[in-house]
Amino acid sequence: MSDVLLSVHDLRIAFAGTEVVRGLSFDVRAGETLAVVGESGAGKSLAARALLGMVPPEATTTGTVRPDLSAERGRRIALIPQDALSALSPVHPVGDQLAAAVRSVRRVSRAEARSLAVAALDRVGIPDAARRARAHPHEYSGGMRQRAVIAMATVNEPDVVVADEPTTALDPGRREQVLRVLAERREAAGAALVLVTHDLDVVRRHADRVLVMYAGRAAELGPVTEVLTRPRAPYTAGLLASLPQDGPRLRRLPALPGTPPAPGALPPGCAFAPRCPLAADVCRTAEPELRPLHGRLVACHRAEDVPHPAATLFEESRPA
Amino acid sequence: MKRLAQRLAGPAGLTRLVCLAAVVTAVGLLPWLSGRDPALTVLRARSAEQEPTREALDAVRRDLGLDAGPLALLTGWAAALAHGDLGTSWVSGTEVLPAVTAGLQVSLGLMGAALGVAVALAATLVAPVLLRGRGSAGGLAAMLAAVPEFLLATVALLVCGVWLGWLPTSGWQGPEHLVLPALALGVPAGGLLGRLVADALPAVLGERWVELWRGAGVSGARIAAAALRRVLPPLVPQFGMAAVGLTGGAVAVETVFAVPGIGRTALGAAKSQDLPLLQGAVLALLLLGLITGAAAALLRRRLLGPALRDAGLTLPRARPARTHPAIPLALFTVLAVTIGWGVLRDPYAVDTTLRLAAPSWAHPLGTDGLGRDVLARLGHGAWATVGTAAAVCLLSLLAGLALGFLPGVAAGAADIANALPPVIVGILVAAAAGPGTGGAALAVGLISWPPLAAHAAALVREVRASAFLTAQRAIGATPWWILTRHVLPSVAAPVARHALLRLPGIALALASLGFLGLGAPPPAPEWGLLLDESRAYVERAPWAALAPAIALALLAALAVTAAAYAQGRRTSRPKEAPIHV
Amino acid sequence: MNEPLLDVRDLVVRHGTVTAVDGVSFTLAAGETLALNGPSGCGKSSTAAAVLQLRRPDAGEVRFEGRELTSLTDRELRPLRPRMQPVFQDPYGSLSPRHRIRDAVAEPLKVQGRWTTAEGPARVAELLDRVGLDPAYGDRRPHELSGGQCQRAGIARALASEPRLLVLDEPVSALDPSVRAGVLNLLADLQDELALGYLFICHDHAVVRHFADRVVELREGRVTSEWRPRSPGAAPR
Repeated sequence: MSDVLLSVHDLRIAFAGTEVVRGLSFDVRAGETLAVVGESGAGKSLAARALLGMVPPEATTTGTVRPDLSAERGRRIALIPQDALSALSPVHPVGDQLAAAVRSVRRVSRAEARSLAVAALDRVGIPDAARRARAHPHEYSGGMRQRAVIAMATVNEPDVVVADEPTTALDPGRREQVLRVLAERREAAGAALVLVTHDLDVVRRHADRVLVMYAGRAAELGPVTEVLTRPRAPYTAGLLASLPQDGPRLRRLPALPGTPPAPGALPPGCAFAPRCPLAADVCRTAEPELRPLHGRLVACHRAEDVPHPAATLFEESRPA
Repeated sequence: MKRLAQRLAGPAGLTRLVCLAAVVTAVGLLPWLSGRDPALTVLRARSAEQEPTREALDAVRRDLGLDAGPLALLTGWAAALAHGDLGTSWVSGTEVLPAVTAGLQVSLGLMGAALGVAVALAATLVAPVLLRGRGSAGGLAAMLAAVPEFLLATVALLVCGVWLGWLPTSGWQGPEHLVLPALALGVPAGGLLGRLVADALPAVLGERWVELWRGAGVSGARIAAAALRRVLPPLVPQFGMAAVGLTGGAVAVETVFAVPGIGRTALGAAKSQDLPLLQGAVLALLLLGLITGAAAALLRRRLLGPALRDAGLTLPRARPARTHPAIPLALFTVLAVTIGWGVLRDPYAVDTTLRLAAPSWAHPLGTDGLGRDVLARLGHGAWATVGTAAAVCLLSLLAGLALGFLPGVAAGAADIANALPPVIVGILVAAAAGPGTGGAALAVGLISWPPLAAHAAALVREVRASAFLTAQRAIGATPWWILTRHVLPSVAAPVARHALLRLPGIALALASLGFLGLGAPPPAPEWGLLLDESRAYVERAPWAALAPAIALALLAALAVTAAAYAQGRRTSRPKEAPIHV
Repeated sequence: MNEPLLDVRDLVVRHGTVTAVDGVSFTLAAGETLALNGPSGCGKSSTAAAVLQLRRPDAGEVRFEGRELTSLTDRELRPLRPRMQPVFQDPYGSLSPRHRIRDAVAEPLKVQGRWTTAEGPARVAELLDRVGLDPAYGDRRPHELSGGQCQRAGIARALASEPRLLVLDEPVSALDPSVRAGVLNLLADLQDELALGYLFICHDHAVVRHFADRVVELREGRVTSEWRPRSPGAAPR
């Protein structure tokens, strides 16, 4: 379980001098599902791409990702990009696309690559895979396309699969289907899954550990059971509180006031301070470091003061 | 078959047929449309001794069938055409058909060689983009594409033929005669092909599937090949248009290098008022264009195969490579200063003692064969060329905006307009109305509106589909309010900017007509005409030829660097953070 | 309740040969939230467009405030349109990129002939304030606002028409979780205050359970079931 496959240390990624990822450190362990959570602009997709060495070339990256797997994409690590519906080439038969991935990584004959591709499509539950392999993506249904994308990313059985918002914009039925296939592939191959998402429901049900990101940094990092049941960072608490819950219906949801800051316009001190009901003077001057607390890492000066249940923090945020 | 019927039945198909019929009718009616009495010309050409008495001229008119009126003329011509009879040349009295076939053979050979040059050049331009996986060679390609054939032909003739003496500069006797014309014709076409692919590739390489392929470990070479496969099918129709453009370019190139092809035949026939020969030649050129277009459509179907035919493949919106805005500004400044200086001088003052003088303080760009100041002629020529271009531009803008709201009609008419190079329209107009500034302007105007109409149509579609327009209907706004407050303002401004940026290109097209003698007559100081006149004494006074050539090249560079800004920036939200790159 | 605010009967919408909505019926009372729920392609959005008469239905009746809308001409419909307003999913696309927020909110007043130079600007500022936007944002254009702020501006524009019914087409699906709760709370407050009817289209079950009084489930253009989330007003945890 503690077998570290990838280790990220003090990762910083900047575009034209504006840091979007600002000093991120975490590990990816064998066999685990690590969820990376955050809102748009938090830098989570970029951090995930750094694992594969796929940061856009115009960005400047410092810090380390060890080992460097960018030359072994496909075999050791693979990416499932956002928006799986458009993630296959429209002009190539699906089977050919998978076979191209096989032949780029392994020295096999054309026919062998083809049968490996069909087998991979079969494994993700595409019916009549041998025939469907010859079809183009537009001849697939939406659900089949999503599964074909997963098949392509896992056809060479990598140790780490990075899935970037694989379920955004899907309705609940499809979302569960995709996550189930992903979990199956991860278990069968004993691989690690890095799941980038902004859906805490998905995290709760599918991840082992969670990295909560805010404004390019880690707010909280630890086991899902710890972090989501008793959050110690006010941001995590606010995210959880604003989710519509089962149970008695509330007319109003506890809501985080304000909006996430733009990367170029961060406030001094803790980036979350302007939205935080617990913010004190120290929060507005010094950026908190990640520190261990109750079985997880948390970056907050006032982590000890976060109440339980944390939702009570945000209930009186009604605008005038 | 059913699909063909559907396509022909739609508004676009109908317009296409109507436009084609109109063009053919115009060709058939040329002798009547021209409105001038060719009897004297014909009489002179047939026998120089015969007196032009009334009886003799009447006999010629009867002979030519000019006395019967337009309808009889058209039906007679069409009936003969159906039998493969193109008539007899008024000038030489020989059959038209053999002359046309002979010219066509030569031109096809030339175009084939030019196509080879074009494909080779395009491949060279695209290769670096594919290898690097990003960036664009679009800038250089666009430069090459913007150089008009007549300019390139003239420069090639000067440098390789006259100064270096490597290759023959006129005639059609052997393969060595093919090199320069093929280069002059092929390079702009190659630049165009290269630009289309090089502009489209970065957008395709930014598509989601490339990320999946890279992330799954697919090698760079395989991704490059796949990207090329992805780019080509939607571009094939545009390749077809580039091939059609060769027919227009052939007229200029064949004229410069004295190649006895169909283009030169058509131009010569137009100038000598030999209308049956002109009809035959133009018809052949038109046919060539249509066949090329059909071949392109067929190739596209083959490339797509049965599985993809219904997939509705489109390319992501290309982002043409933009140079630093200082470059078009600097080009514009240099041209403006030269023109401004020249306008202050007298373009018609003849000084026979100072013929072909080298540049000096009195004549900064030297003098021409009659001792006239080249700078002055350049400046005044710009006034004529650019002023006409501005008028053409404005009319095209209005036509484009109006037709942008009728996308079906616009598409059909644009198809035909695209199949007609300006030179051929220019020849037709000149044959009907005589060469002149107005005719040249009409010819360029007829074919310069389709891109503007296409742009307007795309914007209208985009605006009409937007949620904010739906919201307008929901608040109870009238169609008139929506049109005037939302649709028109969203469409007019970008299309007007597009039209403005096309101005240099339109000026070049006018200059190319002037060069071929289809524009303003001498001694008007028109840029194309200046270049044409200076060809005669290029060995003795290279500056006189170089000055208009450089001015035209600067104009071409301005056209291309400015056009990259035509698409405009999207004014939608800025990316909050460039994370989903 | 005597007469429902909205009464939809046997609604049919066809796109070419595809029947997107196939005989859908429901009613909605003033002050009530009715959710249309179902997977993508089930006909939710087509139903919404047909209710608003932005896309005329192929068959069926839409009775709004007692008047049958499907038989009216465009001209007859125009004065009734302000009473029912849409709020869209894409917060940026629903506002013209060329216009300031202030102008977008003022436009319904101008179109409906209720704009005066004396009172108009104050009314716009009041509307912006009502949806929780600092009226200073009125000078900005949509791309200068965040998604949540744009969505609030879209709601302000809808309120400017003084509607009785809001058709909310996935109003929070494009928003970040921390912003989403604020917009849902705003909608709840507005309903309490103005007794608006909400036709709420959403594919997120958790949001639907929280927000709706009644839920109509759609599958392939047909109503498959209708249910009520646990009754509102129960004591908080």
